[in-house]
Amino acid sequence: MSSHAVSETDSTSDWNGGKSPFGVSYGKMFMWFFLVSDALTFSGLLCAYGFMRHKHPEVWPNPGDVFTHFPFYEGHIPLAYVGLMTLILIMSSVTMVLAVEAGHRNDRKKVTFWMLLTIIGGAMFVGSQAWEWYHFIVGTEHGAMRNFVNSDGVWVTETFKGANMRVNEYGLPVFANFFFFITGFHGFHVFSGVIINIVIFINVLAGTYEKRGHYEMIEKVGLYWHFVDLVWVFVFTFFYLL
Amino acid sequence: MSEFHDDYPQYELMAHHSEEEGKKKRRKLWNVFWIMLGVTIVELIIGFQASSWGLLNEDRTSNGILKVIFIGLTIGKAFFIVFSFMHLGDEKKVMKWSVLAPYTVFILYLVWICVEEANYAKVNKHPMDAIVVQQKIELNEAAKSGHGHEAGATHEEHGATDATHEAHGEAAKPAEGEHH
Repeated sequence: MSSHAVSETDSTSDWNGGKSPFGVSYGKMFMWFFLVSDALTFSGLLCAYGFMRHKHPEVWPNPGDVFTHFPFYEGHIPLAYVGLMTLILIMSSVTMVLAVEAGHRNDRKKVTFWMLLTIIGGAMFVGSQAWEWYHFIVGTEHGAMRNFVNSDGVWVTETFKGANMRVNEYGLPVFANFFFFITGFHGFHVFSGVIINIVIFINVLAGTYEKRGHYEMIEKVGLYWHFVDLVWVFVFTFFYLL
Repeated sequence: MSEFHDDYPQYELMAHHSEEEGKKKRRKLWNVFWIMLGVTIVELIIGFQASSWGLLNEDRTSNGILKVIFIGLTIGKAFFIVFSFMHLGDEKKVMKWSVLAPYTVFILYLVWICVEEANYAKVNKHPMDAIVVQQKIELNEAAKSGHGHEAGATHEEHGATDATHEAHGEAAKPAEGEHH
């Protein structure tokens, strides 16, 4: 298997076969194209959210009023825990890219170290998201008056605490629906990313990539992990800030 | 067993670098991290202080300037993640463009459609659940006058009986259509 130099200036020969015109291996190219398609899925969801949100601007709940709790703290700090979740995910992105960099030097010990930190960061994020969901579903102590059909099938007007798919104390049901769908879909991506990272981590421990001679698999799952962080940056802005 | 290569170059091995180069790359990555941390903290501070800095509209949504600031900072963060963490900045030009160009075109088209065609939503609104509207108005008033989030509890006691019971009759059936 020869490894000849690729000439950057002679662009016509890029497309004559014998090498990748994109200058990357097949696996990396596939991961990039998959990420473009997944990014479009999330963009569609966020556009749908924006559409619904501006359809009902006078009653849309302000996320700074809804997401105010922090673990082990009894008061109300708007968006503090979400900010912490963003920080955790960015940190896990940094540890991931450091694992990739260590892989480029075939430094197996460092790859193991940084991958472990990445997995821990991802697991912390998923746990935090689950905590947010729990508090969102259970609701506040005072709840709010709502018109709804209760569990006996009777149409009532009473104080409702928490949120489900048909009625919630924060405002419109569609706000809760979008919250669950967007953060749930993103959280599912984070969760699957953590699982994939664990599989790759086990492979690193087993020496698969030492035998292979390169750590490109770390780079490929790193792309997926950074994509998850990228989506969170946009979800954080459009859902919680704007 | 290495991958099936035919006579393709081994791109995986081309990415290797030495320890000194690794030090420089690591320092750059940590710099990007500090930039991302700073931008996130700035975003949170702006979000926290938005009302006292006059960046909110009457109904406590973000006004135009605030939207531009937030979206601009977010795209800045996205640029750093894609170009530095995902190493797209180190790829060949054709790879960069084959990822960015279709995505940008699609997103601009999507945003244009939202801006151009979204009048339909304003024109064809369903009637709102009166309780929800009332509560939102009260929340806005409470926030403007600087009360905390507990204001919702006190308002429920006296607001519940009068405003909602006559709204209950006619709001009941149309409100069902709102749950979609």
